[in-house]
Amino acid sequence: MPTRSLSARLLASVSILLIIFFGITIVLLDLLFRDLSDRAMRERLELQLRTLISASEEDPKAGLAPTLDRIEPRFSNPGSGLYGEILRNDGYPAWRSDSLAGTGLEFAAQLKAGEKKYHEVHSGDGSVAFSLSMGIEWEFNNKKTRLFVFSVAESLEPYYAQLDRFRVQLFGGFAGVMLLLLGTLAVLLRRLLSPLRRVEQEIEAVEAGELTEVGTGYPRELLGITTNLNALLTSERERLARYRNTLGNLAHSFKTPLAVMRNLLNSSAVSDLPIARQLDEQVGRMDDIVKYQLKRAAASGGTGLGTAPVVVSDALEALRGALLKVYIERNLQCELHVDEGCVYFGDREDLTEIAGNLLDNAFKWARTRVRLTAQRTSKPTGRRDGLTLIIEDDGPGIPATEHDHVLERGARLDERVSGQGIGLSVVRELVQLNGGVVTIGTPDLGGARIEVRLPPV
Amino acid sequence: MRVLVVEDEKALRESLVEQLKEAGFNVDAAADGEEGLYCGREFALDLAIVDLGLPKLPGLELIRKLRAESKKYPILILTARDRWQDKVEGLQAGADDYVAKPFHFEELHARMQALLRRSGGWAQPVLRCGPVALDSRTQEVTVDGKRVELTSFEYRILEYLIHRAGEVISKTELTERLYAQDFDRDSNTIEVFIGRLRRKLDPDDTIKPIETLRGRGYRFALQRESG
Repeated sequence: MPTRSLSARLLASVSILLIIFFGITIVLLDLLFRDLSDRAMRERLELQLRTLISASEEDPKAGLAPTLDRIEPRFSNPGSGLYGEILRNDGYPAWRSDSLAGTGLEFAAQLKAGEKKYHEVHSGDGSVAFSLSMGIEWEFNNKKTRLFVFSVAESLEPYYAQLDRFRVQLFGGFAGVMLLLLGTLAVLLRRLLSPLRRVEQEIEAVEAGELTEVGTGYPRELLGITTNLNALLTSERERLARYRNTLGNLAHSFKTPLAVMRNLLNSSAVSDLPIARQLDEQVGRMDDIVKYQLKRAAASGGTGLGTAPVVVSDALEALRGALLKVYIERNLQCELHVDEGCVYFGDREDLTEIAGNLLDNAFKWARTRVRLTAQRTSKPTGRRDGLTLIIEDDGPGIPATEHDHVLERGARLDERVSGQGIGLSVVRELVQLNGGVVTIGTPDLGGARIEVRLPPV
Repeated sequence: MRVLVVEDEKALRESLVEQLKEAGFNVDAAADGEEGLYCGREFALDLAIVDLGLPKLPGLELIRKLRAESKKYPILILTARDRWQDKVEGLQAGADDYVAKPFHFEELHARMQALLRRSGGWAQPVLRCGPVALDSRTQEVTVDGKRVELTSFEYRILEYLIHRAGEVISKTELTERLYAQDFDRDSNTIEVFIGRLRRKLDPDDTIKPIETLRGRGYRFALQRESG
């Protein structure tokens, strides 16, 4: 299962980081703002209280009352949000501001002289105000003293409204900054990761056989990967070529003495001796074993990475031409049906070997016709197509009971009926090494029908 | 028929040359690609047998060079590398057939016969001209169905003439194709053999199979019937 992309991971981590950072900042700013507002309000209330106290004078009826034109006019406007009260120690209000009308606000009642108290007061209709009350020992002109509680309060609604506004602005601002940051980061990442995307594209091209290796000019951090990848591709190709060359040399150096032996055994001096025939048979067996094992060993069975895909029609057309030349006396018709643009993502030599052996058999046995069909078998999941080869002839065919037998492994070469080529066993081995299957089917043409399915690699 | 063998393995080359001579061929041998190229260029050959893994000049290159110089004689590849890729490349380079090592001489011989026959324009193994029939497989010659006994050299002259039936073949060409280099090249010997052939094929002097064209050579005059 593929992990999420690097940029997605980075963006997610950065987003989480930003949210934590901004969250803490918002909380801190909010606290600071409320603290400042709180202090400002206390100062304002203090001022109002002093003004109220200094504006108050003896009143014959209630005892004390402020001179109205010396205090804020807002005290006189109902619903202004600024309230005041002077309470006598017998619980009877000496003065209540007009603005208090209908609010039902209650202030602190029992305070000693010089005692100050801030508190939140709630009215019956749900409005909230912040109040400052202070006990004052008032000395009348007749030298008598009496305890009064002076209270002022300010509605908290404007404060809350301001706080809400502040919070909206704060959140909005930070959200905007965050989006901007993430956007910039995404653009930056895109440019930063573009070499990685290039590597990906070039590896795809290598897979498709459009490139033999990934390019150069990568940033230092990626050079390790690209250089090693190229080295791997090159060494893989060279290894196969070297390996095949070695096997070729081995075949050559092994078969030349066999050829000499066979020729000597065929010479007129000894060819009639029974031992010459027996030895010749052994030479044949040795040849078969060498042929089979070397062909099997030479199979690439690989992915064909970094090599151009084999153009199937070219490879098969070349084989067809070669076989028509060799079997010219058979006067056969050889039809070739290859799907448009059919390519094989694998090794050219493997394909040639598989098709060559099968076609050779078909040419050997056919009466008049050989038909070779190549189809691409696309797989919805892969980018590469597989290949199906169908080789048919109108010869005597292969009896159903023999189907398994002719595909037998080379390990059982000893059991083979002599004279029957090792072609099919080699084909089976090569096809299996390339992950495919060989089936012998019921033919349209009346003879043998062999189907080879090579999967996409 | 003059045949060139290009094979680097000495033992194989020598035994092959021996067997080919026994089979009645006039054989030249070369041990490497360059020598093979020289022989292929300079000699009047009817066929060349070329090993692919040759020192100095690879067999494929040798074949390409000979074909590029318009050498038309058939070329048979003899190879230990029997991958299809190699076979296809060899045939594309201009070879006409291949035989994988180790081979049975009979198979090689049969393939050579077929190539030689085809290069003379014959499709069937039995070459028929009028009443004369030559079976290249059994090396039997019949006239009107009656077998004619020929010596090996007489057979080789007749084979060559029938192969190229209708064409004029000079005495020099016959000598070159049929005698080994170290042979006595007296052209009178050819005349003697032609005379014997005429007597054996046509004792009553009625069908006149071999024409003499003064100063130019001989021609097998009977009409080809098959092929």
